[in-house]
Amino acid sequence: MSSRRSGESSSETLKITDAQIVQLLSKLKQLLPEIRNRRSNKASASKVLQETCNYVRSLHREVDDLSDRLSQLLSTVDAESPEASVIRSLIM
Amino acid sequence: MQETIMHNSRELKKEFIKKWVQGLHICCSSKKQMNLLERKNKIKLSADIALASAKNSTTCWSKAIISKAEKDEQNMILVNNLSGSGSKFMCAHQKVSCHKRITSKKILKKSYGFRKKMKKMEPCDHGSNLATCIAKRLVKKRTQVLKRLVPGGEFMDEFSVIKEALDYILSLRVQVDVMKNLVNATTILN
Repeated sequence: MSSRRSGESSSETLKITDAQIVQLLSKLKQLLPEIRNRRSNKASASKVLQETCNYVRSLHREVDDLSDRLSQLLSTVDAESPEASVIRSLIM
Repeated sequence: MQETIMHNSRELKKEFIKKWVQGLHICCSSKKQMNLLERKNKIKLSADIALASAKNSTTCWSKAIISKAEKDEQNMILVNNLSGSGSKFMCAHQKVSCHKRITSKKILKKSYGFRKKMKKMEPCDHGSNLATCIAKRLVKKRTQVLKRLVPGGEFMDEFSVIKEALDYILSLRVQVDVMKNLVNATTILN
């Protein structure tokens, strides 16, 4: 792949995907809680990306936290009670 | 469009619940004496694999999660039961294409490094040019971070990473929702 050819193709793909990138970013904006609450349409691309990263990290933390709590709850389920048997039959 | 998103989330939720309960049965009934950390890791792993396989190989991030889990032999029972054997073929193919992508990217990077050196030598003319330079660099930095957060992101170009992140966020929400409901139900029953 000559450097000239790759230069041309990259500018072509840039033309096509610029509009699509804007569309994607607007979709992302709708998902993010921070930007939605502030109701400002002036969020720049880098701000949207930063909020996306923060949101993904917070979702990861939530999953981790919930797995922790679930494992603690399940470890205390070994008592003999009708509720415990329900849980056991459902999950274990 | 909101309605299709809601519909897809509901379908994903159903699939995820089915597969996760299956996975929990496999994990939590195998060894009775597990310490808290082991159990927590099994729960989290089964949730991730269930979420990924509920996508039915329609997205890159889900395939990345499954192929990463398959690398550990201890997880094979879980993966095979949840995702079926079809993923193995896809995994091998993905590994080959990923490897090719990595080596071709390395070649590109070497040539880019030279071009970047030439670009840096050019001075930025007006203020607006400088601002767009900075903005582009910020976007690039943030996209790099996002690539590390989305599973399989290191192998994607910047456009696909954003697309995958959209779907990944929606699916993570479903996962958190279901897990919260299960934790609440278990708390009440306890």
